[in-house]
Amino acid sequence: MTSWTRIRSWTAAMLGRTRMEREMDEEMRYHIEARAADLAEQGVPQEDALRQARLEFGGMETAKDECRDAVGVSFIETLMQDARHGVRTMLRAPVFTITTIAVLALGIGANTAIFSVVDAVLLRPLAYRDSGRLVTILMSGEDPVSVANYIDWRDQSRSFAAMGAADFWSPNLTSGDSPEHLTGLKVTQNLLPLLGVQPMLGRLFAAGEDQEGADGEVILSYRLWQRKFSSDPGVLGKSVSLDGKGYVVVGVMPRGFQFAPFWATHAELWTPLAFGARIHDRGGNSLRIFARLNDGVSLKQARSEIAGITGRLEQQYPGTNREVVVVPLKERVVGKIETPLLVLLIAVVFVLLITCANVAHMLLARAAARQKEVAVRAALGARRGRIIRQFLTESLLLGGVGGVAGLGLAALATRALVAIGPASIPRVQTVTIDWRAAIFLFSATVVTSIGFGLAPALQSLSINVQDTLKEGSRGNSQGSGQNRLRSALVVSEFALALMLLIGAGLMIRTFAALQEVDAGFNPHHVISIAVSVAGSKEADPARREIFYRQLIERVRALPGVQAAGGINHLPLAGDSWGWPFAIEGRPKPRPGESPGCVYRIVTPGYFEAMQLPLIRGRNISDTDNATAPGVVIINERAAQEYWPGEDPLGKRISFDSDTANLPTWLTIIGVSKDAKQDDWAAHPLPEVYLAALQNREFLGSPASYFAYITLVARTAGDPAALAPAMKEAAWSFDRNLAISQVVTMDGVVAEATAEPRFEMLLLTIFATVALVLASVGIYGVISYSASRRTHEIGVRMSLGATRGDVLLLVVRQGVWLALAGSGAGIVGALLLSRLMTKLLYGVQPTDPATFATVAMGLGLVAILACYLPARRAMRIDPVAALRCE
Amino acid sequence: MDQQLELLQGTLDMLILKAVSLSPLHGYGILLRIQQISKERLEIQQGSLYPALYRLEHHGWITSEWGESENKRRARYYRLTAAGKRRLESETKRWNQMTAVIAGILRTTPEEL
Repeated sequence: MTSWTRIRSWTAAMLGRTRMEREMDEEMRYHIEARAADLAEQGVPQEDALRQARLEFGGMETAKDECRDAVGVSFIETLMQDARHGVRTMLRAPVFTITTIAVLALGIGANTAIFSVVDAVLLRPLAYRDSGRLVTILMSGEDPVSVANYIDWRDQSRSFAAMGAADFWSPNLTSGDSPEHLTGLKVTQNLLPLLGVQPMLGRLFAAGEDQEGADGEVILSYRLWQRKFSSDPGVLGKSVSLDGKGYVVVGVMPRGFQFAPFWATHAELWTPLAFGARIHDRGGNSLRIFARLNDGVSLKQARSEIAGITGRLEQQYPGTNREVVVVPLKERVVGKIETPLLVLLIAVVFVLLITCANVAHMLLARAAARQKEVAVRAALGARRGRIIRQFLTESLLLGGVGGVAGLGLAALATRALVAIGPASIPRVQTVTIDWRAAIFLFSATVVTSIGFGLAPALQSLSINVQDTLKEGSRGNSQGSGQNRLRSALVVSEFALALMLLIGAGLMIRTFAALQEVDAGFNPHHVISIAVSVAGSKEADPARREIFYRQLIERVRALPGVQAAGGINHLPLAGDSWGWPFAIEGRPKPRPGESPGCVYRIVTPGYFEAMQLPLIRGRNISDTDNATAPGVVIINERAAQEYWPGEDPLGKRISFDSDTANLPTWLTIIGVSKDAKQDDWAAHPLPEVYLAALQNREFLGSPASYFAYITLVARTAGDPAALAPAMKEAAWSFDRNLAISQVVTMDGVVAEATAEPRFEMLLLTIFATVALVLASVGIYGVISYSASRRTHEIGVRMSLGATRGDVLLLVVRQGVWLALAGSGAGIVGALLLSRLMTKLLYGVQPTDPATFATVAMGLGLVAILACYLPARRAMRIDPVAALRCE
Repeated sequence: MDQQLELLQGTLDMLILKAVSLSPLHGYGILLRIQQISKERLEIQQGSLYPALYRLEHHGWITSEWGESENKRRARYYRLTAAGKRRLESETKRWNQMTAVIAGILRTTPEEL
């Protein structure tokens, strides 16, 4: 046969699909009728003739199938036919279909979204060359390092191909039309090359540019280049003004480049770091150290080398080189978020398992209902393979539609997660839908639906066709095996749901406990903006104090403002500096063991605006100025820590590190309540508030980290509404003032608890989904088994069982399943909830109240789910139930 | 009537080709023709006739068209194509050779060896 005829036959068969079916049917029917007519002529009675003709002909369905096979397009043909049949079947049971598809979509969608986040945040390597070889070297694994220490480590170590340092930098960009406060980094010349990322335009810093006087270059991030320079390819060589100083643009980094990856993650520009006179400074810790391990050097070797070097330095300069830790960069980046994400991952895997169990459920129930259909088709001569193929097609169809819906949902959910996820999750901005995960989950659910869609078909076929038909609608023969399987599914669903609910319950209690935390101040109705004078004429030490005073006065005069003041670093949102100090009259402490505190500088009015109460003493006032004796306010914790059993008022402390001159003593004039510092859940550390009008650096330093003030104002109404007026107040002095960090204190507090809120939200969503699925599962099993016990219930009722007995009979079965599931779930939760310890606040991972509440709640839901079928069973009319047999 | 013989594997196609080579026939007619020629000694599974017809037509050895039957009903008539004629000839030749060889083997006596 030529390929032409083959194609013609094939296309003819494809196009004339329905015609072929019709003709095949007609032809065979003609055959049977003609045969019957002949038989009748031979004397067979008319009514028997047709029957005999059919018998002689044999299975018509089989013959048709073989005809289709013969035409050779059978596979696709059958598939289309099955698909059409499948769609019809699905449309005939819309509730089943929609539920299954929704369940599949939910399972795939939620899982893909979480997997995508986990992949982007935890699994994917950092976007630097061979990033697994990058490490950070920090004090205690997280705190910054002094310049002299960095230089010694760099020069004495052999384990590293390169070791660079970065310093925080927040300049005001004043050359544009509107001044902007930017986040940037000062980096040693070797730092960017050691990351192995090439600039998109221009070059990295050249050797020698990290020397004082030569450090006037700047490299821009892609986003800053887009935003401030309109993606101008000719930006190289242009001059920009940062804090009033001219810099030359030498490069633009590629899109997506981010450095540093933990701390200062929003850095948008980099400039060379010149140490200048600081090369001998072993006290001012501000550098973060990044290094690349030499080829063939292990982390362990590097650690022991650094331990040796710092051990020697510590002997030489006591108190300066303790607990220096080499940490892989990736670990430093993702370390804190690892636990929450793993917990969410476990939760979402549970949801996936429940999803699969539920789909299995529904398909099993449906298969049981279709047992008779299978038997009829088998009796009509459908071959075994044919029936299996039909079921397979239906399962695939269901799984496929559910899967596609799931992928759509996954895309939405991933975007939603990124949107609602707290900004503190590292790399969250790099999250994209993870197609590998999506495909894996898609396959997983489709396989589930096939597995459970097919198993019953096989089972149905192995049973006796005649029995099933005779049994009528009861279809009992599938029997206890399948019922046991379904019960096992319900038990596991309940166990998983209980674990998820306990996880969610613990997070809810954590969040509630966090909401109860006393900030120390009253965050409601407070707004804050940071005004930077760096680079403006107000930076001049001769003008700054007057400017600050006038600015606060102007803010106080704004309508609705009840109190206003200023501080260097806003609690929770701003920086938090730890400074050592000396206490008058006490022996000089050993190096590294000086009392320390969180160092804040406040103007009069700050305590009133924040409603941070003074417990003892007096407030800082306008008279505490440069000519008056130095004063400070300490917090309660400092009083307890450094003056236990003593009255701290009137005691004097000093922050001078220069011991050559007489120290400047500051007298403690008040003790304030503890206020939250930078960690919402942590107990506040000792804190000292200095008087702004007495602080020379605050009023005179040109450094951008000193040359700004954070204004706080308390209003009667909506604090956010005050923001434009406050900005205008500042700009009315000078248009070149950069304003940043416009936040309400309520917003700051919400941000500080964003991570637990996010975890609580997701766990609660997962647990709710799990609860719904598990309830649907138990409802399905109970109502199915109750409907099959109609006869039994009828007998019992006719023998005198009351409706209450019937109710009990049905509900009891469900309650047993729920109890078994809850039991297993509690054991699982006891084992797993320990993983959550790091996420919890104010509640134990085995909190009995949570466990009890969840178990009882789940039990109630189970009873409710069983009550509906039980009520139906109660209404059974015994006479009708018995007669239907 | 002698006992009916079950059809040898693969011979139905040949018989159908032969039957329609004499005159165009509908499916049931083919069955009757084969039974008539064989004097009802061959047992043919009626349902299996049609897959064979579809297969033969698919190969292009027979072709079909709808016509009117002897009892004035619409029926599908099959007729041999040129390719089918060649096929029938080669199949017949092959069959004859085969039966001759096999008959020869079966006739063999010990003396002939």
